[in-house]
Amino acid sequence: MGRFAIEYPARGGTIPFPDSFVDFVQPGNNATAKGVVPLSTMSDPDTRPSFEHTTLPHLDAAYNLARWLLRNDHDAEDAVQDAYLRAQKAFGSFRGGDGRPWILTIVRNVCYTVLRRSRRGLPTEAFDDSLHGSPDLHADANAAAWREARAERLEEAMARLPAEFSEVIVLHELEGLSYREIAQVADVPIGTVMSRLARARQKLQAGLTGAPTKDSPHGL
Amino acid sequence: MDCNETRRLLDADLDGELDLVTHLELEQHTRSCAACQALVEGARERAIALRERLPRHGAPAALRARILRSLPKERPAAPVAWPAWRVAGLAACVAFALVGAYNWGGERALSQGLYSEAVAEHVRSLQAGHLTDVLSTDQHTVKPWFAGKIDFAPPVVDLAAQGFPLVGGRLDYIGGKPAAALVFHRGHHAVNLFVWRSGDTPLERRTVEEFGYRAEAWSGSGLNYMAVSEIPLADLQQFTAAYRERTR
Repeated sequence: MGRFAIEYPARGGTIPFPDSFVDFVQPGNNATAKGVVPLSTMSDPDTRPSFEHTTLPHLDAAYNLARWLLRNDHDAEDAVQDAYLRAQKAFGSFRGGDGRPWILTIVRNVCYTVLRRSRRGLPTEAFDDSLHGSPDLHADANAAAWREARAERLEEAMARLPAEFSEVIVLHELEGLSYREIAQVADVPIGTVMSRLARARQKLQAGLTGAPTKDSPHGL
Repeated sequence: MDCNETRRLLDADLDGELDLVTHLELEQHTRSCAACQALVEGARERAIALRERLPRHGAPAALRARILRSLPKERPAAPVAWPAWRVAGLAACVAFALVGAYNWGGERALSQGLYSEAVAEHVRSLQAGHLTDVLSTDQHTVKPWFAGKIDFAPPVVDLAAQGFPLVGGRLDYIGGKPAAALVFHRGHHAVNLFVWRSGDTPLERRTVEEFGYRAEAWSGSGLNYMAVSEIPLADLQQFTAAYRERTR
């Protein structure tokens, strides 16, 4: 027998909303702008998501991203906790929709601040966006190399990637975010997400097969 | 489509980012081109290796506990909403108990059966690789596809902007009645939304969790709705809220 969690539509209660939001939906202001959850949803106590509901289901994703970017448990835990505190304060500005890219954006920003302070793993190359779409970006994936790739070898290859490349691998391959969601989290255009993902995959494969990439190697 | 274009697009295809028409063109080309087929195979192996051999670090329990402790104890909505909830909840509990006592094994068992059935259909659709009969991210393709197959028009909307892109539709049966199954994606997960005529058994709005799957049901305009997925409950509720909002 399954557990029943029965929802009763709660009516008759109202939730005070910030003035700015009320202003937005004054009569005559046909406010169903893109990406904004309409007032009917936001004011319904039944469907208005709480901070916990919006962010806690994504705690594993948040930690995974932080752990890959900062590369140790202690820093990752601190960063995620800091990010959740910030998110809580900023929750008033959350416009509804998917909480995952929203919380991951904050986690990423905190991690980058940590990296910047310690000068670790930050982008070490100016990324050439003109490369996007060139055939080189779509270097052939070597089925045998990937099939035989050992886990340690893959992790080593990941560790050699600068943050801007390892994060797209984590967000896409491990967390399953779409290009659009990654673009939101990393605050770059979708085209840049595609070229970074292509380059990251290419670098990882080069790391596995020992073939040199066109770029100079990136040390830690 | 030629080899150059295939080569340029195959990553985006495996990443699930191509539209249906381009996806089919690419598939047609790779079927007849061994060189491109090998590239697709390589990209597929790469995705598998990364997904399965790189560790996904889960949040330590202590971190989760610390974050939970840092949350404010009092919910802002609670003081206003509580009395209404209490009264409605208590009244509904009593009513539910009475109905249950009066008609044990009746309606409740019926809808419980429907949930289990919907979850089973959801699981089957994933296992059999038979998620969709019509594969399209375009609501204007999916909606007419159902015409002539079922005697009602399920509201079809794409919720890509809300994080749940429409991927297609399928014909299914729930409770012995023909149902439209609309398929949405959430990352690597699928959400099946079953829609069928309510007749004289409209579903109460209700959320059920069973064996790691979650279902939310509701009813409106003569149709029953049941959304089923393995995604977190909060995500599923986001989905149903977005769908109801867009189809009002």
